[in-house]
Amino acid sequence: MEIKKTAMDGTLESSDIQITVSKGTNGVNIDLTSDVKERFGDDIIATIKKVASDFQLDNVNIKAVDQGALDCVIKARAITAIQRALGNSEEPAWEAL
Amino acid sequence: MAFKKDRLRRTMMFVPGNNAGMIKDAGIYGADSIMFDLEDSVSLAEKDSARNLVYEALTTVDYGDAELVVRTNGLDTDFFEADVKAMVKAGIDVIRIPKTENADMVKEMENLVVAAEKEFGIPVGTTHLMAAIESAEGVLNVPEIAKSSDRMIGVALSAEDYTTDMQTHRYPNGKELEFARNMIINAARAADIAAFDTVYTDVDNTQGLIDETEYIHELGYDGKSVINPRQIPVIDKVFEPSKEAIKNAQNVIAAIERAHQAGSGVIAMNGQMVDRPVVMRAERVMKLAQASGLVDKEGHYIGK
Amino acid sequence: MDAQIRDINLANPDEFEEWKNFLESLGIANFSGAEVDPLDGTIGLFEGDKLVGTGSYSENILKYIGVCHKDTSNGVYFNKVVSSLLTRLGQLGVFHVFVFTKPQYSKSFQHVGFSEIVQSENAAFLETGNYNIKDYLAEIPHLAGDDISAIVMNANPFTLGHRYLVEAAAKRSKHVYVFVVSTDKSLFNSKERLELVKEGTKDLENVEVVSGGDYLVSYATFPSYFLKSDKSKVVYQTTIDALVFKEWIAKNLNIKTRFLGTEPESKTTDVYNEVLRDVLPPEVKVEVIPRKENGSGDIISARTVRLAIKNDNISSIRNIVPTSTYDFIENHLGELQDRIKKGMKIDGN
Repeated sequence: MEIKKTAMDGTLESSDIQITVSKGTNGVNIDLTSDVKERFGDDIIATIKKVASDFQLDNVNIKAVDQGALDCVIKARAITAIQRALGNSEEPAWEAL
Repeated sequence: MAFKKDRLRRTMMFVPGNNAGMIKDAGIYGADSIMFDLEDSVSLAEKDSARNLVYEALTTVDYGDAELVVRTNGLDTDFFEADVKAMVKAGIDVIRIPKTENADMVKEMENLVVAAEKEFGIPVGTTHLMAAIESAEGVLNVPEIAKSSDRMIGVALSAEDYTTDMQTHRYPNGKELEFARNMIINAARAADIAAFDTVYTDVDNTQGLIDETEYIHELGYDGKSVINPRQIPVIDKVFEPSKEAIKNAQNVIAAIERAHQAGSGVIAMNGQMVDRPVVMRAERVMKLAQASGLVDKEGHYIGK
Repeated sequence: MDAQIRDINLANPDEFEEWKNFLESLGIANFSGAEVDPLDGTIGLFEGDKLVGTGSYSENILKYIGVCHKDTSNGVYFNKVVSSLLTRLGQLGVFHVFVFTKPQYSKSFQHVGFSEIVQSENAAFLETGNYNIKDYLAEIPHLAGDDISAIVMNANPFTLGHRYLVEAAAKRSKHVYVFVVSTDKSLFNSKERLELVKEGTKDLENVEVVSGGDYLVSYATFPSYFLKSDKSKVVYQTTIDALVFKEWIAKNLNIKTRFLGTEPESKTTDVYNEVLRDVLPPEVKVEVIPRKENGSGDIISARTVRLAIKNDNISSIRNIVPTSTYDFIENHLGELQDRIKKGMKIDGN
């Protein structure tokens, strides 16, 4: 699937992550800001990548600003941001949940 | 998640459904029930976000022994169906129906829950329901609401909307809620389900919270809704059984044991017959005593 | 209880006072109409009724961000305010967001995902979102060779004076980039201005006309509320603008020379040119080309053109604008005059 518009979910508050999803041309690019990037950066990116692949996104730019979010929060925020970018966030994405 | 029909429900803590930090920490305060809110605390633009977040939390975070409840958006909203389906799929213990006015609304919710259970291969009957009573109409119909479904585990008073509907507002003495509180507790007991009192909103007024909790405890309520974790120990303290009550309950339970061992159906204590309500009360007192840390494993009283 | 975000209505005198007093307690002192009027929205973070944080936005720029740290661990309120502003803007479809701030707050913004574009002694300029200066630069055609120069103009609208400047630069260097400022605070909107520059220079083969995007920092969008004095606003703004040009645009596009026009009657332009001469060399050479005069010794100015539009006297400007600009004005005269009637200012550059 192709991302057509930019969308965002999540916040910059503690234990959360803000994820912005926009149109990409060159694979799945994830730009991560996080205090725990060195220790957990790979895990955070892997979680987001998994969600992108559940939605079959081949080209997408994702900006993630982490404030110490749990894995389930990262996943939820990524799902919502992607659904919003695809314009179908009214119905839960059963295939990705 | 572990659903038990007869469990302690002294505190039901509200957690805004889109607050990642509060969702993460909701399990650490010792609330008997945790209520994730998809309704009033979530802005219209964030309904999808909160639903996904609560779903992911329910399916991954360990909330220990707490009963997990979700307040979905109202039956008249665009979010309601998706909320219910997602929460049923997540395996929620209880769905709290907002603004319940009559038994038909419970039925409507139940039909949707059944359909969702079937769709997602969850045993039919797994998901329980409770009704929030938030209007004059709801209060007058609470007896039928309480008995409207086998899935019902409780009814709760929600005073903000109720007092608005009654063209009044909240007063410290709570007289404006007297009728509603009595209706709800009577309906709950008649239907053999739990009764939850409304939140106490002035979080800095501990004495006010104690007074109100003592009052609803006297009425027979199971517990109160809580908006701030600081209120949990205060409410639990009010629900603590006295030393005498514990001793008495232990004697009742000992009498039951004796009767069992003797193979007798008749339970007697101090020469008097012990009937069912007394047994039930004793069991409830012991549950409260254990939850409050007032007895050890052997049954010694260890309170102050 | 958690602090709550609520809208602040600055049009309400009591709310404005409360907001102003709060920011004053944090050392922000400038609440002039020029700074406050352009704000599109303002939010407050409240503990009960007490204001403990605030932030505003004007188009895609965050402004007047202030939080009280007394009762919380560092950053909690700051993150909440910035987060709410970005969510608001996102709901409006704005995801590429800027902030100008004091250098000491740059790190706080970087912590919530902003990237610093440049920093001067007095101000830092940062951006966040789905687009950044690297994306902007990647969209501009990259020209080969070492002899590349640039001109920056607002061209409101493009005149023969601008044309003279471009021609002079085109003669002196192999390639010329013409950057057209793209803020919509001018009588001619950015699309029209860009188009008229393109039209008016299309016969010059070594001229590449590009939009300045969000990266030519204009006086109109640069906020000065956080600076000590309003007097030197133009210096601060120009310094940031010059740094962006030098550290990003010139570096990336291999621009070696920046040509400037003169504006004998504008002190602002003098200051601007002075700052550029101060900041750009040695990496980028600065060359000034004197203004073209018309036959009678008057310099050609875009302001003259705008006045003629206002005074419904456009035949008087036929000989100071290219045909393409004249035709556009003639065809859109009513619309342009409407914009002036609706309050579009025609003074300034």
